[in-house]
Amino acid sequence: MKWVAKDIEVYLGAKEYVDTVVLPLLPVSFADDIKQTASMTEFITLLSGQLERQFKGRLLMLPGFSYIKTESEEKLLETVNHWGAEFVKQGFKHVFFVTSDSDWKAREDKLDGSLIWLPFLPLEHMDKNYLNSILEDQVKQMISLFIKKWQDRDSQ
Amino acid sequence: MSKQRVTRRQFLNYTLTGVGGFMAAGMLMPMVRFAVDPVLKHNPAGDFIVTDKKISDITNEPVRVDFSFEQQDAWYTAEVTNTAWVYKDDKGEIVALSPVCKHLGCTVDWNTDKANPEHFFCPCHNGLYTKDGTNVPGTPPSAPLDVYPYKEVDGYLALGKAAPRKEA
Repeated sequence: MKWVAKDIEVYLGAKEYVDTVVLPLLPVSFADDIKQTASMTEFITLLSGQLERQFKGRLLMLPGFSYIKTESEEKLLETVNHWGAEFVKQGFKHVFFVTSDSDWKAREDKLDGSLIWLPFLPLEHMDKNYLNSILEDQVKQMISLFIKKWQDRDSQ
Repeated sequence: MSKQRVTRRQFLNYTLTGVGGFMAAGMLMPMVRFAVDPVLKHNPAGDFIVTDKKISDITNEPVRVDFSFEQQDAWYTAEVTNTAWVYKDDKGEIVALSPVCKHLGCTVDWNTDKANPEHFFCPCHNGLYTKDGTNVPGTPPSAPLDVYPYKEVDGYLALGKAAPRKEA
């Protein structure tokens, strides 16, 4: 489900079925890596859209959390973990953060939730059909990852 | 020359009526078009979209067929990709099923659940559908999968807008 009124209405009626929440982490920077951060944001936005389509009924896809890269690490971690704590309080069993920003990979163990880090692809020069097939491959990998996490949890 | 002479007055009358009529029509036509515009607009939902799947390539094993079209959402046009599961049934007739689970809208997959082969499986809440799209009782979905109407266009499969199945 997306963060739109129509989907949220469905969510309110079927809360017990929606046990997964995904928060995309989208970096913004105006320094040398301005273009990279734009690509990361673009890539993760596209990818999370596809992911949402696949698992509409079980996951809530939040609007991306965008942050400025100059923000200190502690503060970012604090904010994101605050989100995570709120998700748990709301009864979500699986919390995922999706990002292309490798800084998060380095602080993964300090995050309350599963981090999915994917290297971004420069999408701007890509042919549309090629782009679709690449995205599909990436989404497929994510799908199996999600299913695995769900199964691990269910079998416990 | 015919015997009946056309007088100058008659000639001018005819000419003026003719030219005036054209001018009036030229002005009125766009106005009428504006007035009835909603009627003339073709309905994109009713259109069939040609996929890149050849009719002759369809077997009795369901395969995924993706097709894209432009969807207009107010001023915003987006390219939307839809998916269908397509196969031929026992009578050789084509069946095109929507992959959208009737429970909460996840995308179902063919033959991915090892415990239930030859079924459509929804990974979200273990929803199951038989090959013809009927929901298996005891699993979350409460209705069979939607069906796409289809047409054949130059040997290729064309799909319309998915609609709920009428109860047999």
